[in-house]
Amino acid sequence: MAQTHFSFDLPDDVAALVAALALPARAGHYDLLRSPDGGLRDGWRSFFAQLGVAGVHDLERRAEVLARHIREDGVTYNVYTDEGGPQRPWSLDLLPTLIGPQEWAGVEAGVVQRASLLAKIMGDVYGEQRLLRAGLLPPALVFGNPGYLRPLVGAQPAEGLLLHIVGFDLARAPDGRWWVVAQRTQAPSGLGYVLQNRLIVSRLFPEAFRELNVQRLASAYRRLLDTLDRMSPRDDGERGAARIVLLTPGPYNETYFEHAYLARYLGIPLVEGGDLAVRDERVYLKTLYGLERVHAILRRLDDDFCDPLELRADSTLGVPGLLQAIRAGQVLVANALGSGFLESPAIHGFLPAIAQHLQGSELLLPSLNTWWCGESAAYAAVADRLHDKVVKPTYAATPSRPSFDTQIGATMSEAARRVLRERIAADPDAYAVQDYLPLPQTPTWGTGRLQPRAAMLRVYAISDGAGGWHALPGGMTRVAGREQMIVSMQRGGSSQDIWVQTEGPVDQYSMLPEALRPEDIEGRRRVVSSRSAENLYWMGRYAERAEFSARLLRAVLALLPDEARGAAPLLEALGQLSVAYRLVPPGTPSPAQSLAVFERTLIAGLAGTGEHEGGVEFNLESLLRTAGQLRERLSGDHWRLLVGSVDSFRETRRRAQADGVLSVDEALTVLRELSVHLHAVTGAQTDHMTHDDGWRLMTIGRQIERLASQAHALAVLFTTGAVQRDEGFDLLLVLFDSTITYRSLYQRALEMPAVIDLLVQEQTNPRALARVVHVLRRELDRLPRDPSFPAVRLPAPGEWPSLAQLCAQEGEGHFAALVDFADSLAGIAYTLSDEIVARYFSHAAGFRAVNA
Amino acid sequence: MSTGSLVVDVHHRTRTHYAARVDVAYHIAHLSPVHDATQQVLGHGLNIDPLPARRHAQRDAFGNLRTSFTIDAPHDEFVVDARSRVLLAPATAPVDAGNSPPWEQVAESMRYVYGGRYEPVSEFVFASPLVPLLPQGRSYAGELFVPGRPWLDLAFDLMHAVHGDLQYVPGATDVHTSLEAVFAQRRGVCQDYAHLMIGVLRAHGLPARYVSGYLLTRPAPGQPRLLGADASHAWVQVWCPVQGWVDLDPTNDRVPHLSHVRLAVGRDYSDVPPLRGVIRGGGEHRLEVAVSVIPEGESDVSPG
Repeated sequence: MAQTHFSFDLPDDVAALVAALALPARAGHYDLLRSPDGGLRDGWRSFFAQLGVAGVHDLERRAEVLARHIREDGVTYNVYTDEGGPQRPWSLDLLPTLIGPQEWAGVEAGVVQRASLLAKIMGDVYGEQRLLRAGLLPPALVFGNPGYLRPLVGAQPAEGLLLHIVGFDLARAPDGRWWVVAQRTQAPSGLGYVLQNRLIVSRLFPEAFRELNVQRLASAYRRLLDTLDRMSPRDDGERGAARIVLLTPGPYNETYFEHAYLARYLGIPLVEGGDLAVRDERVYLKTLYGLERVHAILRRLDDDFCDPLELRADSTLGVPGLLQAIRAGQVLVANALGSGFLESPAIHGFLPAIAQHLQGSELLLPSLNTWWCGESAAYAAVADRLHDKVVKPTYAATPSRPSFDTQIGATMSEAARRVLRERIAADPDAYAVQDYLPLPQTPTWGTGRLQPRAAMLRVYAISDGAGGWHALPGGMTRVAGREQMIVSMQRGGSSQDIWVQTEGPVDQYSMLPEALRPEDIEGRRRVVSSRSAENLYWMGRYAERAEFSARLLRAVLALLPDEARGAAPLLEALGQLSVAYRLVPPGTPSPAQSLAVFERTLIAGLAGTGEHEGGVEFNLESLLRTAGQLRERLSGDHWRLLVGSVDSFRETRRRAQADGVLSVDEALTVLRELSVHLHAVTGAQTDHMTHDDGWRLMTIGRQIERLASQAHALAVLFTTGAVQRDEGFDLLLVLFDSTITYRSLYQRALEMPAVIDLLVQEQTNPRALARVVHVLRRELDRLPRDPSFPAVRLPAPGEWPSLAQLCAQEGEGHFAALVDFADSLAGIAYTLSDEIVARYFSHAAGFRAVNA
Repeated sequence: MSTGSLVVDVHHRTRTHYAARVDVAYHIAHLSPVHDATQQVLGHGLNIDPLPARRHAQRDAFGNLRTSFTIDAPHDEFVVDARSRVLLAPATAPVDAGNSPPWEQVAESMRYVYGGRYEPVSEFVFASPLVPLLPQGRSYAGELFVPGRPWLDLAFDLMHAVHGDLQYVPGATDVHTSLEAVFAQRRGVCQDYAHLMIGVLRAHGLPARYVSGYLLTRPAPGQPRLLGADASHAWVQVWCPVQGWVDLDPTNDRVPHLSHVRLAVGRDYSDVPPLRGVIRGGGEHRLEVAVSVIPEGESDVSPG
């Protein structure tokens, strides 16, 4: 499949159409779409030739498809201030950023050289410190930088390599030259979004993607895993693949989505600090089986937060003792901690000389001209020329030295620049001056036009662990909002997939694992971290609870208007159950006191206008929240199903109350649709998840919830006597989801022994309490556990009361034995839940600092 | 001022009671005295109860010996008992405050010049976690910063000024009190005296560092009892190109001489707390610290 032609003939009609749609780029900026003569650049000629007139007309539709993918795949980008608030959808532009083969060759060489240089600087600063002694690196940029971590001085990791992934922000000057604007060495973000962007955009332009010969990404990710595996420390005699985990700050982090996505793609556990423990200078993952050794940590947590013992004491996200494990050489952390000083804008001014010194060469990809104000001679040269410069903070913010936003001289008044100079004079070390670079303009698709927007390209270099570096052939363009001069995802910018064209055959490698070695397979039992297990358990419980509460509410609403009127036992039962499942807040007048108020409160609870927590929507949200912390374990379809259930619930509810009120009929419609969705969710949980121990806990959660709610409902309906009449009897069948089965066996007869048999004793009925207990006993037996667990006893088949015993009545209609038994089962369910939480999840408790 | 040398026995005992059980604890101790030409450690022992699962002694980035240890046995009481025998052997000649270059020259030598001479002690002119560079530091005792003054002469006068200006009030501050607050309230304990003096010097680009250590519990005959003798103490070292690191104790307004035992040096307290830790569980905790530093052979007024 050798094809080397990149410039396709662009039919005149397509060219005319594109020209008509393309808004002009800002003057004085490099236009990524058009050459100075106005014609499309090569890549774009090919792209639009592939699209044709019909394709160009189809762009708006594809943009809609893209938006739907983002929404359904749940690709999000949170902003810290949103904590607890809604997640913000990831912003991805329809069009890619195109880079031709020759251009990429230049970028690649420059990025590789730089990554290698930065790794050498890092090694020197934490080792022999020759650059400092040679005067090539100012002490202020090392010792004065809070990113320089003294506890790691002299801590040489395995093979001496401290950097594994480096991210670079690149821009093109108006003349087309490439410049490095910033470098990210701590925990470069984006590797997950890059994959997701590629997946979505390449599918929207399959022909163009193929014909433009776009280089694939999978090998680069495989290399990263291989590098980490190769460099991981192992104990003598330890065989098999290293256990690598991805350390995330957690679901409130702005880029949590991509942490989960990347972990799933790489096939490694996603963990939070609380999931790891240091013992005997080794790092372990807390799992259902106890502690399991971790050899390497791919971390997305910033340096400061990684170890509250030696770094930020107030960090609740880190792992106490991690630094000691690092110093002992017992764990690989990628990237190594302490690289923050390399991210300082001020360091760019010193890189050319350091490159000469260490590599004997010039930087292939230069940094923007940079003057560090702490070097008085350098600052003196630019102090009066701030009008065409930008001023950036040398140091990241710390509690005792707040940082500031980049200041663009051109947008400031002379008075403001004077104030800035005074601030610089007071603490010159803290400021760096950089040339102002008008950012290139990339074509984006918006409101039916090709809109040029300021853009910065994020690309990555990945170490091979043996001294070599490779550029990831792709990346992510960050796109500024309209009229913005600064690109920032935090400030509402967007992103584009970077398509790197190649002249050779594209790399067909995919992330399918290599041929497995026997030791890999032996160790392949899937790790279930305690935290995942906890979320899975609650996901099971909430799914069941959501179903049950929706079924209950539906039944109550259907009964209230007519059937229940005047039937005191039934009204009493409805009131008790509605309060128990939070369909109405405690203290709501009972239906016997005021049917109207009760009904209004029920409807308000469903409509989301009520004031209490709980109820159907609360259970749905809880289900979604726990699932959201398990993204790395759920398939895309499963996640879409969950999001779809909640979305569609809100959407049908919104439509139903478009007129301002939610009638009982409308409420029933909403609940009916919800019930269909929840059945699908149950199906996904049952049939489409690997039946490992995590799944087992989810199943146990579901069965515990089922046991508790059904046993409780049974007790209430029998205690109140509601079950003695048709409506109450039917309600019982509905709550056990057993109406059809009963009718097929007994038609309309209201037979107590028959219903007790079907709902309590019958092993073929998945809702029958005996069946639920059977499943619980079976799954508990398969969990890793001591013989003494659980302490609470689920009745064994031999201990189960007979139908005759359960049907015994103390006086007409008083099924005391049945009610007692149901109550005891509900009690056992709750006790069992507490035991499970204590036994399997108690690890997650937090640490705190103490000083003496 | 007497000369000669002195052997002292240091006993530092920290007992922590936790209201609730601690499941696991990670600690780092800086409790082993500095060993160098003017202070020699003749013996040192560190006992920890409960017995740590793992313990490890290493040099930190400043050359101090630090011990890190993990206790994974559940406990509600935790005792660290450090005993050291130390020979204090100060240089025979006292510090000559006049024998020092002008302070501006010292500050200038700390500034980076491209390709210029590397000055390792410039590490101690930068802001550190507890000693930010503040305008208050720049303006404090401004009358002392007369151009051309010998640097140590200036440093001695600053020590006098800080001593006269601050009020020694135990409990007025804690480890979370900011330097800004100390500048504002002019009250505190030895740590605050030290941080404030360091902050003023660094605001002028002058190298100064923090010393964690002890005072003799009972003064030598004829000497006054010093402030801060019943616990660990802190003071300042300034660096002079001619005489090296010079100790100054602003809390007691004196140059330490056969009266101070150095435990560790750092940029500020946060680099060298005697004992720090991260625990799981524990609830409220109550701390008892007892320190005695007495000449060898004298009766032990053993703490706790």
